[in-house]
Amino acid sequence: MPSSSADFDYEATLAACARGERSALQALYAQEGGRLLGVVQRIVRERALAEDIVHDACVNIWTRAAAFDPTRGSARGWIYSVARHLALNAVRDGQREVAVDEDTAATLDARAALEAWHDMADAFAWQASAGRIAHCLEQLEPVRRNCVLHAYVDGFSHGEIARRLDAPLGTVKAWIKRSLAALRECMT
Amino acid sequence: MSTRNSAGLSADDHELAGEYVLGTLDAARRRAVQARLADEPALQAAVLAWEERLLPLTELAEPATPSTHLWWRIERSLDALTTPAPRPRPAAPPWWRNWHSLPLWRALAAGGFATAAVLASVLVMREMEPPPATRFMVVLVAPDDKAPGWVVQAGTSSRIELIPLGSVEVPADKALQFWTKADGWSGPVSLGLVTPGQRLDVPAGKLPALQPNQLFELTLEPRTGSPTGKPTGPIRFVGRAVKVM
Repeated sequence: MPSSSADFDYEATLAACARGERSALQALYAQEGGRLLGVVQRIVRERALAEDIVHDACVNIWTRAAAFDPTRGSARGWIYSVARHLALNAVRDGQREVAVDEDTAATLDARAALEAWHDMADAFAWQASAGRIAHCLEQLEPVRRNCVLHAYVDGFSHGEIARRLDAPLGTVKAWIKRSLAALRECMT
Repeated sequence: MSTRNSAGLSADDHELAGEYVLGTLDAARRRAVQARLADEPALQAAVLAWEERLLPLTELAEPATPSTHLWWRIERSLDALTTPAPRPRPAAPPWWRNWHSLPLWRALAAGGFATAAVLASVLVMREMEPPPATRFMVVLVAPDDKAPGWVVQAGTSSRIELIPLGSVEVPADKALQFWTKADGWSGPVSLGLVTPGQRLDVPAGKLPALQPNQLFELTLEPRTGSPTGKPTGPIRFVGRAVKVM
């Protein structure tokens, strides 16, 4: 059973990986392997591919640990960014998004946008999220919050979010833009 | 923290960094951001800031239990990084498959003959061509009628090519999955799903260096691949790697 992330020294573990201590990577894997696999599997939606990506992520973490700079971000954040990056590359490279005339789509589907906007249901139990992000997510309208969460947690593209929320693509893009701006302002 | 270095960045670039971390950029725009990151510390700082901001949301994904062989795979890859030609470890008991099956070994023997035949033609071709990059070759044959169905080529470059020699019938709800296992590995490793009649390019970067006698096989699995991460269905084609001198 992994210990809580507060009790685990991620920075020291990466430093040990950089020194070539295999046991450090093994400890990190025992600590985060299951969570990393969960995050990656949610994005790529396929078990075998998810394990391939966690494998690649661990090899990447091992070989790049020396390049991790603790003055620029947290070690745990870095580990997840390596895994999510590989997962997102895998799903984005594998798909061909159809280009849509955004303006036309937005105009024609203004009604759908209005309906989607009124969909107040939360798709995620985000309230439990630690730290400032929960407070800032609360400031967003539910539909914009769902856009952000479908993108980050499910790895959905703009098009997939539009289909899921039954909202026009251009509108979804605008919602995400504004949500990011609001989150940055709230969290800075 | 990282935000202080991204102070001079435009609002557009902050938003671009956010979408990059969020994952909503398409493949081309992702690559464009990646290309810029190397030379633009301010953009890099903005990306790092977004990674930190959004990290708590990883908790929204249910953890999963990795299969037991995943850590072994990782270890093998680390071995391959430090040792160019990893020494085979003592053979583990073949718990996932009956390796003593007579048809399997007959098929492998037939594969050996088929490989010899293909190698003979390769040798003839070598007279006329510059030395090819291929270092290993495998002919995969059907266990029942020994008919060669596929050829695997692995060069010095980091990829393995699976080349069809003909078309293969696969039931609509099934798929062919490509596996390999070297002596001393704890189990076969999936190289992906195969479309009948189509060539498959596997980046070998995630695999240790190929070994002589390494086993390759195609098994019939559910349409989305083996649910266990190990071969579950019947072997349709099988063969062993032969070094091309």
